[in-house]
Amino acid sequence: MTLYHCIILSLILCAVGIFGVLTRRNLIGILLSVEVILNGANINFAAFAHFKAADPTAGAIFPIFVMAVSACEMAVALAIIISMYRRKRRLDVHHLEELNG
Amino acid sequence: MSDILFYCLASILVIFSLMAVSLPNLLHGAISLIGSFFVTAALYIMLQLEFVALSQIMLYIGGIVIFMLIIILLTTGLGDDDSKNRISMRQRFTRFSIAAVFLYVVLSFVDKTQSPVLQSIGKPASPVTMDDIGIRLLSPKNGFLVPFEVISILLLVALVGAVIIARKDKNAGEQA
Repeated sequence: MTLYHCIILSLILCAVGIFGVLTRRNLIGILLSVEVILNGANINFAAFAHFKAADPTAGAIFPIFVMAVSACEMAVALAIIISMYRRKRRLDVHHLEELNG
Repeated sequence: MSDILFYCLASILVIFSLMAVSLPNLLHGAISLIGSFFVTAALYIMLQLEFVALSQIMLYIGGIVIFMLIIILLTTGLGDDDSKNRISMRQRFTRFSIAAVFLYVVLSFVDKTQSPVLQSIGKPASPVTMDDIGIRLLSPKNGFLVPFEVISILLLVALVGAVIIARKDKNAGEQA
């Protein structure tokens, strides 16, 4: 288990998340895939903090900030999805084209 | 020993993440996301970052995924993703190949730049204790005091904003 393995793992997670963002059509499904991408980024932070950092405490603090921002994102997304569902009764991104030029 | 454990955990993590992004029922996807977060917490413990593992379990599994489950249950029945609305097999393949090309390009870049930084095993850092993290988070010099306070304001603003956005407005609500 070296830094290299952890980087490869987080790369694979990032690719899986991108695949999910591209294929899901439901708004909630897209959010779920974004969480997978953030998870990969957190693993990267933790791996560099463990193997390389001169200052591992800072590397342990950054994933916590990522989690807090992600919680904010989910709260706002909950609100947006609920108000959109109230108006439209559906969450399919291919039908949400009001801002289409 | 630790290598075998890492490979097992990593493959379980990738499988859970694949299930989370590709299961047709969103409820099942969110539940497999819970599994992937637990495996990630195990990886953090292998990296000797216990506090990050704990906050992963408490914040992600106890907070964010529960949020997500609430949204799914509020909007799509029991998570029935409309299987008739799914994209076609050909589009699915195209997007899969986009993700695969991304993975291949970045992977070959990582492979080509054989920097000794990535390869050397190095000395593993000493374990980060919770005391270290707490002191560092709140120390005024060389610490994270300002980001900490900014994050708390951000959480407050997001909470208020979520309530305002989700509130039922009486004038414009019924016309759609």
